[in-house]
Amino acid sequence: MAENVSGVEIQLENVTKRYPGTREPAVKDFTMTIPAGKIVILVGPSGCGKTTTMRMINRLIEPSSGRITIGGEDALKLNGDALRRKVGYAIQQAGLFPHFTVAQNIAVVPGLLDWDKKQISERVDEMMDLVGLDPAVYRDRYPRQLSGGQQQRVGVARALAADPPVLLMDEPFGAVDPITRGNLQDELLRLQLELRKTIVFVTHDFDEAVKLGDKIAVLGDQSTIQQYDTPEAILANPANDMVAGFVGAGASLKQLTLLRVRDVDYHDDALTVVAPDSSPSDLRRQMTEKGKTYALVLDARKRPQRWVHVRDLSTASTLASVGRPVGDMVSTQSTLQDALEAILSEGGNAVVTGSRGEYVGTIDITTVTDTIQQLREEHDAGSAAS
Amino acid sequence: MNLLDYVADRWDRLSLQAWLHVSEVVQSTLIAAVIGVLIGVAVYRSPIGSAVATALASTILTIPSFALLGLLIPVFGLGALPTVIALVLYALLPITRNTIVGLAGVDPAVTDAAKGIGMSRTAVLTRVELRLAWPAILAGMRVSTQMLMGIAVIAAYAKGPGLGSEVFSGLTRAGSANATNQALAGTLGVVILALLLEGVYFLIARFTISRGIRG
Amino acid sequence: MSSTTEIQGFSTESGSRRADRVRLFAQPVAVVVIVGLVLVWAFTRSNDSIEAESIQAGVLLDKTWEHVLITLVVAAIVVGIGVPLGMVLTRSWARPVAPLFIAIANIGQAAPALGVLVLFFLWTEWDGLWAAALPIAFYSLLPVLRNTIVGIQSVDPALVDAGKGIGMSSSGVLFRIEVPLAVPLILAGLRTSLVLAVGTATLAFFVNGGGLGELVDTGYKLNRVSVLVVGAVLAVGLALLVDWVGALLEEYLGPKGLT
Repeated sequence: MAENVSGVEIQLENVTKRYPGTREPAVKDFTMTIPAGKIVILVGPSGCGKTTTMRMINRLIEPSSGRITIGGEDALKLNGDALRRKVGYAIQQAGLFPHFTVAQNIAVVPGLLDWDKKQISERVDEMMDLVGLDPAVYRDRYPRQLSGGQQQRVGVARALAADPPVLLMDEPFGAVDPITRGNLQDELLRLQLELRKTIVFVTHDFDEAVKLGDKIAVLGDQSTIQQYDTPEAILANPANDMVAGFVGAGASLKQLTLLRVRDVDYHDDALTVVAPDSSPSDLRRQMTEKGKTYALVLDARKRPQRWVHVRDLSTASTLASVGRPVGDMVSTQSTLQDALEAILSEGGNAVVTGSRGEYVGTIDITTVTDTIQQLREEHDAGSAAS
Repeated sequence: MNLLDYVADRWDRLSLQAWLHVSEVVQSTLIAAVIGVLIGVAVYRSPIGSAVATALASTILTIPSFALLGLLIPVFGLGALPTVIALVLYALLPITRNTIVGLAGVDPAVTDAAKGIGMSRTAVLTRVELRLAWPAILAGMRVSTQMLMGIAVIAAYAKGPGLGSEVFSGLTRAGSANATNQALAGTLGVVILALLLEGVYFLIARFTISRGIRG
Repeated sequence: MSSTTEIQGFSTESGSRRADRVRLFAQPVAVVVIVGLVLVWAFTRSNDSIEAESIQAGVLLDKTWEHVLITLVVAAIVVGIGVPLGMVLTRSWARPVAPLFIAIANIGQAAPALGVLVLFFLWTEWDGLWAAALPIAFYSLLPVLRNTIVGIQSVDPALVDAGKGIGMSSSGVLFRIEVPLAVPLILAGLRTSLVLAVGTATLAFFVNGGGLGELVDTGYKLNRVSVLVVGAVLAVGLALLVDWVGALLEEYLGPKGLT
């Protein structure tokens, strides 16, 4: 992994939030160091104060007492609006401005920071590329013309537009369907691989925390820290009953979500062909030579498009429409759990893609079952030893 | 003389009155829009403030226009001033009510996001909240304008400008040759102008409401 | 946008339940206080003979009664025509002509009330109660008609299906399901119609229909502010009371179990 960390460290010291007229503070004496360039997940039951804690970092909520520094700078001494322009913010249901186009939404913060027009426009295209939305298609669309998942991507693009070192995310994927959520999580991990921001992510979904977090803080009432550690450590060794309850049943199976496609031996020997450069007869010849019955058609940017069976080729005139379209794909960032789902829905093989959506290989059911087998043996060995 | 001949014959006077009629109604609507939006912005965060403002404005609307005009005459005399005051008062409710409803209807996630990415309080209001409430505000202005077109006719009683004077002279000359033509010209003139203004509102909505929130 | 209820036509509805509550209590109190104060002032000041002719209990009661009568007749016509017509226009066989009636009622309301009143007077050469009540009723019909239609049309089709499914006749479905569920909207329309009627009734004196507008006119023509003010304040008080009665009807006649 590249160590071009662009994030900065965040420190909260004895931060307390007390609302007028309440006896108990909503957040009590909260101290935590969030390392630069890492994803830290605040997870806990609803009402535990995790959102309040996060909102104090960009001072949407003013702390009653305590100290917050971002990259060594005292956040409480800055002007609140100026601070928030330097801290990315993405929330549930995206909170996009419905009267602005996608491009205008993404351009808001650079605009507030007085970037010049040309620079903003380039940045918008860059951000849209980054979150996987084609600028030519989506630039001038309005939020209501987008799916929930696309809106969420725009929300992330808007949060990152001014290149803030820190990104706060408040249950950003809470309102989308499970499949889209999985994809968005994968994309966030892919983005983070490039960007290396400091991300504070609030969720009540422990599985999401395990999947995304470099570190997880399990919070109880008044935002008290029950355990603050890596997902592996929390799964293996919950600090107390509350954490154990939160981890829930099947902790060892959950570790499947800790393993990523890049960690296992997927295949990279499928026969591929780039559609514009080849014809059905070429492909047919190649397939006969190599003894393959299936081939994968890619587009000019090497992104997987269609599966082709050798018998489809006899009648086809172009590779653009032959065979059947590729359905669910997984990226090297995807968890094995996601891979399993994709394999089942594709019925055999799922295509694995790299960070720009290009083909890197395929994965099948035996790879996953082998890994489960391996995990189980390790687990058994571990418990036998203890 | 039939209606068309009558209108052709008195075209100069009728068109001037039509112009005055539209002008007083539009000006009153604009004044009421400024006041109504300011009131709306001032109270929409407070449920009690909203309730009091809308209750007051809707009470004003309940007052018979002729009675209100009568009460304004001893204070402000005759002519354009009491007319405009009465018209502005009547136009306030629909605009205030729709401003409050429109602002209160803005998705809290959107305002939270606006603050969260660093918009100042004023920017959140002017660039996000009012822009999102604008269709509702404009609808309120439209309702007000339509209402005022009719009330302005009654205002001719207080010697206010506009087509109402045609209706009144038709009434006082009942029985004479052109009485009906005169009242009809005034009444139909108001209906036609109201329809034209409706068209203007349609165009304003078309050009000022973002495609992202157009119904 | 979420559950915005921006109001598109003339209506004194405040758009806020809390505001409605405030008015439900504040309105009658304000009426009693203001009308009381003005009457005390009018009767205790030294009136000249012209003023004394108008400011006496008999005249005031007469004019108020004329005003109330016009309002009641209009309300009866509006309910008697608007509700049945609205019900008929929602029947499937009448749907094609429904827009026509709505359009006519719309024009009726877009036309200036005074113009409608004066034209009716000039054409029929009637005067008195009916010369005032009929055009005012035409002018005030739209809210009840439109709300009846909208109220019935917005009844959940599943309920209508259920009604038919358990063997109700189509008139059974109309009177036992559709109309009861439409009552809140019909009442809201009635309240708006009443406010329009009581307001327009101040113009009835122009066609010799009497009413409190006559006092305003007398005061203005004879340059007697006291008479003008008494007439205007009584008209305002009456309008607020009528609106309040409309609000009470909405509050207590609406079927329970609906919000």
